[in-house]
Amino acid sequence: MSVFEGVKEIIVEILDVAPEDITLESKLVEDLEADSLDIVEMVMQLEDKFGLQIPESAFEDLKTVKDVVEYLEKRLQEK
Amino acid sequence: MIETRITKMLNIKYPLLQGAMAWIATGKLAGAVSEAGGLGIIGAGTADPQWLKNEIDEARRVTEKPFGVNLVLVSPYIDEIIELVLRENIPVVTTGAGNPGKYMPRFKERGIKVIPVVASVALARRLERQGADAVIAEGMESGGHVGEMTTMCLVPMVVDAVGIPVIAAGGIADGRGMVAALALGAEGVQMGTRFICAEECPAHPAYKEKVLKARDRDTEVCGTTTLHPVRAIRNRFVRYYLEQERAGLSAEELERLGVGKYPDAALKGDVENGSILAGQVAGLVNRIQPAHEIVSEVIREAEDLLRNGLGVNMCLD
Repeated sequence: MSVFEGVKEIIVEILDVAPEDITLESKLVEDLEADSLDIVEMVMQLEDKFGLQIPESAFEDLKTVKDVVEYLEKRLQEK
Repeated sequence: MIETRITKMLNIKYPLLQGAMAWIATGKLAGAVSEAGGLGIIGAGTADPQWLKNEIDEARRVTEKPFGVNLVLVSPYIDEIIELVLRENIPVVTTGAGNPGKYMPRFKERGIKVIPVVASVALARRLERQGADAVIAEGMESGGHVGEMTTMCLVPMVVDAVGIPVIAAGGIADGRGMVAALALGAEGVQMGTRFICAEECPAHPAYKEKVLKARDRDTEVCGTTTLHPVRAIRNRFVRYYLEQERAGLSAEELERLGVGKYPDAALKGDVENGSILAGQVAGLVNRIQPAHEIVSEVIREAEDLLRNGLGVNMCLD
């Protein structure tokens, strides 16, 4: 499964949005209506799924689904 | 004696924490609560380090027992405040308004217990992973900043999700509330609103009077359209604010409307145009008492209930 698919799966579950409504360009807050606690939930599930720790300092830059995917891909490469 | 992991961890007699209301959870109040066997907590709020230093000194004049400091992580003085807490060897900090993750290592290396306030299961799990020693699960019954979950639902869900001890807050003002929280799996409780009406609390007499007079439906949540909703007792200010909010004022304008309103009420006694932050449980608070009396009353009620049963008939076969 691609990183994008994995991220999508988590977003679908947390925010109860249709998978087809999630694109790389989707903005987490504005388009998908995530609030700050949703973001925490998402980060927790991403940590579990991808087996890494995501520091608070990374949160601010995660605005779109693409940001999340690229961040994860970078971190997974470093592993 | 109600012993839990919290009493052992914090080296206190009773698993009862005093909520840290900004400006009015002073050294005098926190010291009195700790001296009575609970955990007093000084609310650093957005005050400058000198204010906090004075309050710590005051608490130490009142008690030799441990007390804590509550950190508001968005305070403009947060770095200096943390330095002060480390320098003064404060054994426990509670945190609100933000995630204490990035400060955690500094506290941990000094053995300071870190107990964040959480309003969701995910945040509780995250903070446990980052090294929190316990969490305070606070329901939306509470005064001041509120989340969306009720204490009744949030506490057992957090208890199921984490291994560290959970302290229940929001809607607790007496021994019944304490026993209910213990039944939900909490190992301690935090009470704020009742301690507003402690003799040692410097809230303005008019503010205390409002808390004493409040009935069950007298609080409102303001600012649900902003990022920082708060619960306050209904007055002229709250009515005006809610009107503006319903009329669609932007979050920024609403935030501006609220600036300084809480100290106006709490310190200056402007209970018409200020913001009287208090929990729903204000309806259960009917007397001004010394802090030690509040602590011993709550504990005695809780122990009586635990010892003598809950007043229900149970058929055991």
